[in-house]
Amino acid sequence: MNPPTQHGGRRGALLAAAATVVLVLLAGVVIILGLRHQGPPQPVAAAAPAAPAPATPAPGPTRSGPGAGAAAPTTPTTPTAKAPVASVDLGPIMRGSAPVRLDVPSIGMHSSTFVDLGRAADGSIEVPTDFAAVGFYTPGPTPGQFGPAVIAGHVDSHQGPAVFYRLGALRAGARISVGRKDGSTATFVVDRVASYPKARFPTTEVYGNTTSRAELRLVTCGGSFDDRSGHYVDNVIAFAHLVSAA
Amino acid sequence: MRTAKTLATVALGSAVLLPFVGAGTAMAADGDVMANLKPVALNGVDASGTAMVEVRGTTIHVTMAAMGLLPDAPHAAHIHFAAAARHECPSAADDTNKDGQLNTTEGGPAYGDIVVSLTKTGDTSPKSGLAVDRFDTAKGGKISYERGSIEVSPAVADAIAKGQSVVVVHGVDHNHDGKYDGAKKSDLDPSLPTEATDPAICGSLLAAPSGGAATGAGGTSSPTNTGLLALGGGLLLVAAGSGTWSARRARARS
Repeated sequence: MNPPTQHGGRRGALLAAAATVVLVLLAGVVIILGLRHQGPPQPVAAAAPAAPAPATPAPGPTRSGPGAGAAAPTTPTTPTAKAPVASVDLGPIMRGSAPVRLDVPSIGMHSSTFVDLGRAADGSIEVPTDFAAVGFYTPGPTPGQFGPAVIAGHVDSHQGPAVFYRLGALRAGARISVGRKDGSTATFVVDRVASYPKARFPTTEVYGNTTSRAELRLVTCGGSFDDRSGHYVDNVIAFAHLVSAA
Repeated sequence: MRTAKTLATVALGSAVLLPFVGAGTAMAADGDVMANLKPVALNGVDASGTAMVEVRGTTIHVTMAAMGLLPDAPHAAHIHFAAAARHECPSAADDTNKDGQLNTTEGGPAYGDIVVSLTKTGDTSPKSGLAVDRFDTAKGGKISYERGSIEVSPAVADAIAKGQSVVVVHGVDHNHDGKYDGAKKSDLDPSLPTEATDPAICGSLLAAPSGGAATGAGGTSSPTNTGLLALGGGLLLVAAGSGTWSARRARARS
């Protein structure tokens, strides 16, 4: 410590005050940068708290029922709408064949590395261990079969972007094509892309039959990352329906 | 009539089992289950399909699509369940009579008894298990089936919602002559050829996964952010220190 002279003391105090101001400003900038979201692209709109109905139902059979809209659990489905029917039009449907290639040209997403997913011991869906691989949920329909085929992929690894990094940038109307083991290609059109808190995951809409046609779900993570759990808090889900089988 | 007797036995067996099935749960839980229908072992059917069932209380809604079945022939279809069954589709090991084919009875230990008959019209109880005139005839080998408001017992609803039931579509053209025929009679109804009732495609109605998908490790989100926030916090602490020091100096001078 220097012996405090009046001159030196004043200069020191001024310097310290200036340094304080600079430090506060710098801290502010750094914190703002830290708070700014720099993660993967997110869907335009987060899902409404209530289960949303398909935004633009494409021509084809749809029906009201639990999961198709914001149905209260106590409201039974209208019996008339579910009266016995002889034969129904379920839209285009393909035979069962496992997916081997996924192409989403509008967001430059491509993969031909597929792994099989089932249900983990805790009841949740398994996820690929390979961040570059996409996982196909095998207990469900294969893409092109009747019902919702579910394909899940990571948004990022520990180091950087993973196979489904850009899923949140996907928009309604975009095309998704899935190459299948039997050589055929199932082409889907995106109905909507939405973000849901994992705590309120729309199980019926993702895995259930809400539209009575062949559909596809692409699932990844989104929202903010919870450091304590090591997981993102949301799931980003693309809903699409089959338009052509070739 | 033997069919009636068999079905009566099935129904009675189910009735006896019901209290035990329902013992653990007071109310049937709602749920959505789906089955990926695949060819039954040994029976050589090149067909596939999917079936989805919504369970809401004791009412179920069934939607099913299949293709590759013997065209223009009735295909009996059911939801099977028994508490003692394995809740799965039969394998080649279930061919107890060693004839190289699986008939419906041989599949019993795997999938259990008929609990719902997926008829197009009328009764849907096990009694309609062989009501061949009310099942889909698979025009072009395809079935597109949807039927709601099917009432089941609480125990059956519970078993379906839990993922313990199995969908079976019957009717196998073993000799590939385009119709149900042959000398071998059905194990369920001797007035029918076994081809008419043998299981063709089968799938367990499994419950959907619960909750979300853990599809991110955070490499593009958190580490940068928390690092910056920590740095900002650190800078603030230093600023507080220098601010205090300069304030103290200013006070000391006055």
